[in-house]
Amino acid sequence: RQFVVPFSEMMKHFRHNYETDGGYFQRFRGVFIQMSRMNEIKYGTHVGTDELGNKYYENNRYFVGRNRWVDFNKDTWKNKWDFNASQITPEWHRWLHYMTDDTPTVKPPTQRKFLLTHTRNLTGTKDCYVPYSTTKPKIEAWKP
Amino acid sequence: LLICSIIQTQALSSVARQNSRLLHRSTAANSGAIFNHVDTPENNANTPFDFTKKNYERIEAIKANYPEGHKVAAVMPILDLAQRQHGWLPISAMNKVAELLDVPPMRVYEVATFYTMYNRNPIGKYHLQLCTTTPCMLCGSDGILEVIQKKLGIKVGETTKDGLFTLMEAECLGACVNAPMIQINDMYYEDLKPSDMEEILDDLTNGREPKPGPRSERFACEPLGGLTSLTEPPTGPGFGIRTDL
Amino acid sequence: KLHTVALNRSVQGVTSKTVIATSTRTQSTDNRIEVFVNDQSVWVEPGSTVLQACEIAGIQIPRFCYHDRLSVAGNCRMCLVEIEKSPKPQASCAMPVMKGMRIKPDSDVSKKAREGVMEFLLANHPLDCPICDQGGECDLQDQSMMFGSDRSRFLESKRAVEDKNIGPLIKTIMTRCIQCTRCVRFADEIAGVSDLGTTGRGNDMQIGTYVEKMFTSELSGNVIDICPVGALTAKPSAFTARPWETRKTESVDVLDAVGSNIVVSTRTGDVLRILPRLNEEINEEWISDKTRFAYDGLKRQRLTQPMIRDGEGKLSTCLWVDALPLVAEKLMSTSPEKISALVGGFADAETLVCLKDLLNRVDSEGLCTEELFVADGSGTDLRSNYLLNTRISGVEEADLILLIGTNPRYEAPMFNARIRKAWIHNEVSVAVVGSKVDLTYSYEHLGDSIQTLKQLSDGTHPFSAKLKAAKNPIVVVGSEVFSRQDGGGVHAAVSTIAQKARISSAANRGGTDDWKVLNVLQKVASQVAALDLGYKAGADHIRSNPPSLLFLLGADGGVVDRQNLPKDCFVVYIGTHGDVSAPFADVILPSAAYTEKSATYVNTEGRAQQSQAAVSPPGSAREDWKIIRALSEVAGVTLPYDDLDSMRSRMGEIAPNLTRYNSVEGANYFKQAHELAKLAKPKLLDAPLSSSQLVLADFYMTDSITRASKTMAKCVKAASEGLSPDL
Repeated sequence: RQFVVPFSEMMKHFRHNYETDGGYFQRFRGVFIQMSRMNEIKYGTHVGTDELGNKYYENNRYFVGRNRWVDFNKDTWKNKWDFNASQITPEWHRWLHYMTDDTPTVKPPTQRKFLLTHTRNLTGTKDCYVPYSTTKPKIEAWKP
Repeated sequence: LLICSIIQTQALSSVARQNSRLLHRSTAANSGAIFNHVDTPENNANTPFDFTKKNYERIEAIKANYPEGHKVAAVMPILDLAQRQHGWLPISAMNKVAELLDVPPMRVYEVATFYTMYNRNPIGKYHLQLCTTTPCMLCGSDGILEVIQKKLGIKVGETTKDGLFTLMEAECLGACVNAPMIQINDMYYEDLKPSDMEEILDDLTNGREPKPGPRSERFACEPLGGLTSLTEPPTGPGFGIRTDL
Repeated sequence: KLHTVALNRSVQGVTSKTVIATSTRTQSTDNRIEVFVNDQSVWVEPGSTVLQACEIAGIQIPRFCYHDRLSVAGNCRMCLVEIEKSPKPQASCAMPVMKGMRIKPDSDVSKKAREGVMEFLLANHPLDCPICDQGGECDLQDQSMMFGSDRSRFLESKRAVEDKNIGPLIKTIMTRCIQCTRCVRFADEIAGVSDLGTTGRGNDMQIGTYVEKMFTSELSGNVIDICPVGALTAKPSAFTARPWETRKTESVDVLDAVGSNIVVSTRTGDVLRILPRLNEEINEEWISDKTRFAYDGLKRQRLTQPMIRDGEGKLSTCLWVDALPLVAEKLMSTSPEKISALVGGFADAETLVCLKDLLNRVDSEGLCTEELFVADGSGTDLRSNYLLNTRISGVEEADLILLIGTNPRYEAPMFNARIRKAWIHNEVSVAVVGSKVDLTYSYEHLGDSIQTLKQLSDGTHPFSAKLKAAKNPIVVVGSEVFSRQDGGGVHAAVSTIAQKARISSAANRGGTDDWKVLNVLQKVASQVAALDLGYKAGADHIRSNPPSLLFLLGADGGVVDRQNLPKDCFVVYIGTHGDVSAPFADVILPSAAYTEKSATYVNTEGRAQQSQAAVSPPGSAREDWKIIRALSEVAGVTLPYDDLDSMRSRMGEIAPNLTRYNSVEGANYFKQAHELAKLAKPKLLDAPLSSSQLVLADFYMTDSITRASKTMAKCVKAASEGLSPDL
């Protein structure tokens, strides 16, 4: 039953992707990518973009839990579909997880000196943290 | 409050478990002496010590008492000789004795630390060893001790500033009949009264030699009230033997 | 040390089989007497102790102060046993057996006595086993578990004793001491350095040096082993591992030519300590401090990567695939007479064979050892010329020992300990021609002039009469004399002395001439194997034929350096340490040290022994012979062996004695060697015979491993400058 989608709804999906991506060809690509990324095709209001370029959407037509979502930055599309939840910035994370209904664009978080800029989890990338031994080597090699 | 709680804990635990060791119940067993050498300005390996010529002759005589191969046995009398000459036994004297007997110094240290009468630390010219064991104590050695301490201004184990007297408490010196008694260097002074003690100390301070032995009228350790037996002259040979023999 | 298994057995009572076997076998011997242990008959030598009788019966008596190789002290009282008709339990270690004695080591009285003694011993022993290094190999721990009570009645506070500083090797925690006096007796009897003693008395008695001083013995580490508690433990390996965590590998030592048997304790690829292994023929159960503590030299200054000298003249690390073709190319392009090899003191027999095979393949004969020997006379052709022919244990049969130009105390401490043993128990008389040094026993010093040696060989010296009268004389010449210019002359003179003594001793012994007199005390572990394999002793060949390609196999003795080599000489250093020779090498091929390979070493007696790999070689280092084998393959002259077994069978083809492990191949051509030596008409120079190691400080650092060792450096400092708190 879920595959039966009213035509008007379908057109909204296309329009959504058309609006977000632009162009004639992209609208099809957008749908394809959205399907691949999210396993569904959605449309919604663009409520804001975070500093990393991720776009956040809301459509209350869907039930709670699925009505807010993120569309990861296009740059990451190029990176072979390399996206993950750690790329969401903390202030948007609050909104996305229903800790608040006010988006950071409506109510920006208090800026504090000690806050660090957000970085994604670098595990598995070339920049990841590699632990090193702090113990003395058992054998001290000769240096000429 | 803290003390209270400790006492409480101890009381409780001693009720609960007889064999508990929460607090030590006895004092640590301390002896006055230490058994390793610590270099001091007056006692180190460079402390000048050599036997006098006369004592070298004496050493030869002592060594002659022991058979060949057992000359090491002379270590005790020679150490004693060194102590008599120097007043006490510095480490250099022990080394000298070891050298004379051709033994490793450690063997001499062993002997010197075993016996309490070798003084390995400087002592005064007069070594006062007051007996404070039960018989002497009962006869008033505490009073004697008080006199000495008051007169010399030193406590047990200390030496006077002029280096003349060192006071020690000694265990029973075997002169209980003449209690209380004190040993000063090699001499016994017996049947002491506090006044006797003062007199002896005065004599020593002034360089006179007090008369050793009992301060009472008696001879040696005869009964105080005169002899009660063996009062007659001894009988001659043949006394009490059958006439037909 | 007692082991739990043995202790178990003693408690449960032993099965009677062994006892019966012993008794039936020995009944025929008349002088033995019969005693009964737990009602089982045992035949023992008269004069042996109750403890020994029980041991023969298979019952081990607990003990602390008693030690097989030390005098009986009888002061720990742990070995109390009940003897029938004796009112009180007797100290079995000091009680001689009497005929028909009925010993009851497992009776209630015995058990109660042990329990009581144990309670007294523990009255003052701290309960610090969790922080004690002896934990797990502690006699007190084991025996209190086996024989002690589970509680104590002592509520008094425990005695505390100040720790002593007796040098950088031995850590003392004197509060743990139970005054067994084993260390005192060891110092007195075995080490011959009476630095330790008991001071004070009663509760205050303590073991120590009285004055603060170093325990100045080359055998000091052994007191750590004989200490039954944790009072004396090893300072360098303090707080590293528990004994049950370590892996033990039985191996041999190569730091001197004696070849002491050792156990290498390792954990996670790290050598943690070295302990002696029992070998009655060589080191009994002792080892020298160098053997025991120089292992930290195996972890410093190591060559871990191959290195090549780059265009700027700097050594930089590279891969084996870079280094080997370079050397191979040099090997093939250099003319054979311009190729030489020089081997150092740690080379094993496998590598020596391999290197010789490789150089012979390319038609080179330039194989030399760093250590010198004479080339005159029969030189190295006859084995009897360079072996310690009497063997180390043979010293105990000798009645006269003549030491020439050697200080065995520091050149071969275990050999010296054997002489001291003979000096104490057999009253052997010792004479020395050479430096006047402290050998821990008294000896007749005949001077160090070469004239004395001449007179001895002529028989005009007063001492010659004694030598002539001796039944079992031994003449020991140190290998150091061969570094003299007149080394050949000295060897000839010594061989004359020995040959004369041999003839007279044969007469004194009633015509049997099986007693060997001539002994050469080598200083390095590789020398005998190298001479067996036909290496030339000394670097004379290299000096007279300047090489274009020089292999240095662990040659760190400073025999060659850049100055006395041609400028274009290509130096390949195969070894373990960046010490003397590595800095001027063009290529460095890192190899394995003696704890890292299974290898054959031949000691000064000519006894082949095997070391075992306890840890793997560091970094890309490889076993020496494998490096040479790989090199041969790259060079296209592949050597026909590719594993250790075929390697050893090749070794056996060349010199069969190298693979007959743990046995000594005797050498016998003394007469011929002597005659050949005479033919050479050697000269004698006037320089006095002296040894390079005179005092203890000279002993610790003699080779690349010990020079890299921090512990040895501390020892040198302590021995030469005195103790300081940081040592």
